[in-house]
Amino acid sequence: MTIYLAIVAALLSITLVVGPVAAQGKPELTVALSSFSTEVLDPVLGGHIVKYYLSLMFDYLVGTTPDGLPSKDGGLATRWEPSQDHRRWTFHLRKGVKFHTGEEVTSEDVKWSLQRAIGKRSTTGYAGPLRTLIQDIETPAPDRVVIVTKEPTLIIPTYLSRSLSTEGMVLPKKYIEANGDDVFARKPVGSGPYRFVEQVTGSHIKLTAVDSHWRIGAPKYKTVTFKLVPEETTRIALLRRGEVDIADVSRDRVAELEREGFPIHMRKEEAILTMWWILPRDGMPTKDRRVREALNLAVDRGELAQSIFAGKADPAFIPMGLSWSYRDFGFKLTPEMQYPYDPARAKKLLAEAGYGGGFSMDVYAYQLPGLPEGKAFAEAMTGYWQKIGVQTKLIPVDYPAFRKNWFDRKTPGAMGYYNIANRDWIGTYALIEKMAYSKSKASDVVNDPEIDGMLEQVLRQTDKDKIGVLMRNVYTRLRSEHYGVPVVYLHSPYAASKTLGKWNIGTVMYDFFIDELASSK
Amino acid sequence: MIRFVLARLVQSLVALAILTVVVFVLARATGDPLQLILPMSASEEDYANARQYLGLDRPYVEQYFSFVGRALTGDFGNSLRARRPVVELIRDRLPNSLKLAAFAMTASLLMAFPLGVIAAVHKGTAIDRAAQVIAVLGQSLPTFWVAIVLIEVVAGRLQWLPAAGIDGFASYVLPGFTLGWFVVAGMMRLLRSSMLEVLDTEYVKLARVKGVVERRVVWLHALKNALIPVVTFAGIYFSILVTTAIVVETVFAWPGLGRLAYEAITSRDFPVIQAVVLTTAAIVALVNLSVDCLYAFIDPRIRYAG
Repeated sequence: MTIYLAIVAALLSITLVVGPVAAQGKPELTVALSSFSTEVLDPVLGGHIVKYYLSLMFDYLVGTTPDGLPSKDGGLATRWEPSQDHRRWTFHLRKGVKFHTGEEVTSEDVKWSLQRAIGKRSTTGYAGPLRTLIQDIETPAPDRVVIVTKEPTLIIPTYLSRSLSTEGMVLPKKYIEANGDDVFARKPVGSGPYRFVEQVTGSHIKLTAVDSHWRIGAPKYKTVTFKLVPEETTRIALLRRGEVDIADVSRDRVAELEREGFPIHMRKEEAILTMWWILPRDGMPTKDRRVREALNLAVDRGELAQSIFAGKADPAFIPMGLSWSYRDFGFKLTPEMQYPYDPARAKKLLAEAGYGGGFSMDVYAYQLPGLPEGKAFAEAMTGYWQKIGVQTKLIPVDYPAFRKNWFDRKTPGAMGYYNIANRDWIGTYALIEKMAYSKSKASDVVNDPEIDGMLEQVLRQTDKDKIGVLMRNVYTRLRSEHYGVPVVYLHSPYAASKTLGKWNIGTVMYDFFIDELASSK
Repeated sequence: MIRFVLARLVQSLVALAILTVVVFVLARATGDPLQLILPMSASEEDYANARQYLGLDRPYVEQYFSFVGRALTGDFGNSLRARRPVVELIRDRLPNSLKLAAFAMTASLLMAFPLGVIAAVHKGTAIDRAAQVIAVLGQSLPTFWVAIVLIEVVAGRLQWLPAAGIDGFASYVLPGFTLGWFVVAGMMRLLRSSMLEVLDTEYVKLARVKGVVERRVVWLHALKNALIPVVTFAGIYFSILVTTAIVVETVFAWPGLGRLAYEAITSRDFPVIQAVVLTTAAIVALVNLSVDCLYAFIDPRIRYAG
């Protein structure tokens, strides 16, 4: 019994030894995230969804400001220019940049990295389009690389920039050739401001700062650790204990954390939550434009933003309307484009279309990363449509199951949704090309010859103003034909420790610009 | 005894062989992993490339025999999600689950033993009823709820203990307690009923008549024999703790086997799903076999005919 009491006392004494952790300025930065996605360290295997940590380890060929603009100060290329026919893009490289192995970054590394990024093994976001577009990569000098394309194009610099995926990350050719892909995937080497220290899968990724880096000077934080903490209560507890400096939190916990004095960094309009019908439309009620409009008018977007998304969302009115690109395209949302909440008119439109008695419609319900409200949102949408007489059936699935049905077109007329990450003009074009261009086949949700024609012109166009006009027209038609039900723009909150200081979280998809936070410049 | 062990070993191997077929089929029935691995912009060519690269373009029968053949040599292939050898992932995660289970088991036994014995000795009293309440709560409160309350209150508000991750001995306390409470309840009830039975036996009565001190009668003579069923269940409980800690490992951000299973299932990572299921099955089979042997060893009444 005495031994037993001694053991219990020892266990209890642990609680006294471990006291609260003081939140104070420290040389480490710890970021707790709900998901690491694929958790891979090789840019060609991870793609844009793991950019937030890869962009600390690697430099891009073309830099981007946190606000998504091309930057000659943020990438390895200090300048770039196209040939007159827009088929040869020359990039001039920054001199004296070294990989963490000590080797200098040269045009050969750029060429090799790009070839690897568009190779068969790559699963990055834009490997396919680049593979189709690129004819050759030339290296006339160690500090100069020329990308030759099969067609005239404007998009090469943006495709290889930090504003999109990971194809533009420059990797050490010699290191990977000497050690192999598998070693690189475990012990990656880049030329970014932080070098890889360790990865414990399912737990954390730890990076350590280089002494000084051309992008940010001497990094303010000696180490940056990304912790994988799936449960939100746990992330918030870690924040309260001062064990993490940044944590992604859900929209409905923002008010509570603000009351406690934790700064909230909001990524405004980080994603558009938009719904669509699985094609084909033939024989479906939604083939009729009036039905599509009615389904839009039945939704009270303001109420949804307040009730389901805790006021951290704003109504959206353009299908696939990626608002971060509006500035580049010169697109402006007019008052006429805004759907009012008008169930009476929705019912009238349904009656005019011959569906006064309603019709049946399946709605898939699933959660998504960044959308914990997924199922509640789907339930609310079915409620709105039932009010105008549409007999909706909610089908709980997981997203891959929906995506399979969507791509296989097995359940035409059924609805699904996605919180599509906001992005700049090239990213927007790439997304629209996948979802609104009928030749994209499986992923298309629009199938409109007029839009097809405009998108084909965009691909061949080398005048950015003309691209802007074409894309404005694409958006106008997506809205006027009601090709989908845009619902809200989602704002994504990130809670920070009280000592973190100023941080511009930026408007680049899947990138938090932690390096800007660590900058001493 | 040797024949018995060999028979049990063969049974376990047959069960594992059947399991390879079941897990292979069920993992593939959940859907296509490429839907999760490849981006929305992936073309049909990208899908074909990835399928070929990951070996998913081969016939199912060929994939199955390849999986079994390699598994026999300890090679479970590469994770489709993490793109690393599955063996490495299991090697990283299994020790964490074993350590947490060992802590939870030790803490549970330390709580269950006195509670069970005292409840039996003081049958029908307030102490007995209090122990019963602990048992009922342990078996009825959802694990995720207990975990979240502990994190919110003990780690977040009071800041007494770490909330997540593996960082020293203290980080084991909350997940260990959460995981172990269910076991405390079960073991306590088992020990209580076993003790009640033993305390009513002739040899205990004889000890008392002979004037042996009551404390010695209870904690030495009675407890020793009451432990036999407890030891049996302790082994089974331990394998349950190792293999079913998905909720606790997820909430406490504990990089164990349960979390790995959860991540693999949600991303249709076939090789990892197969490896985790086979590993956990092997652990359960091994523990059951050990318990059977131990049971035969500690209880001389038991005779195995082979």
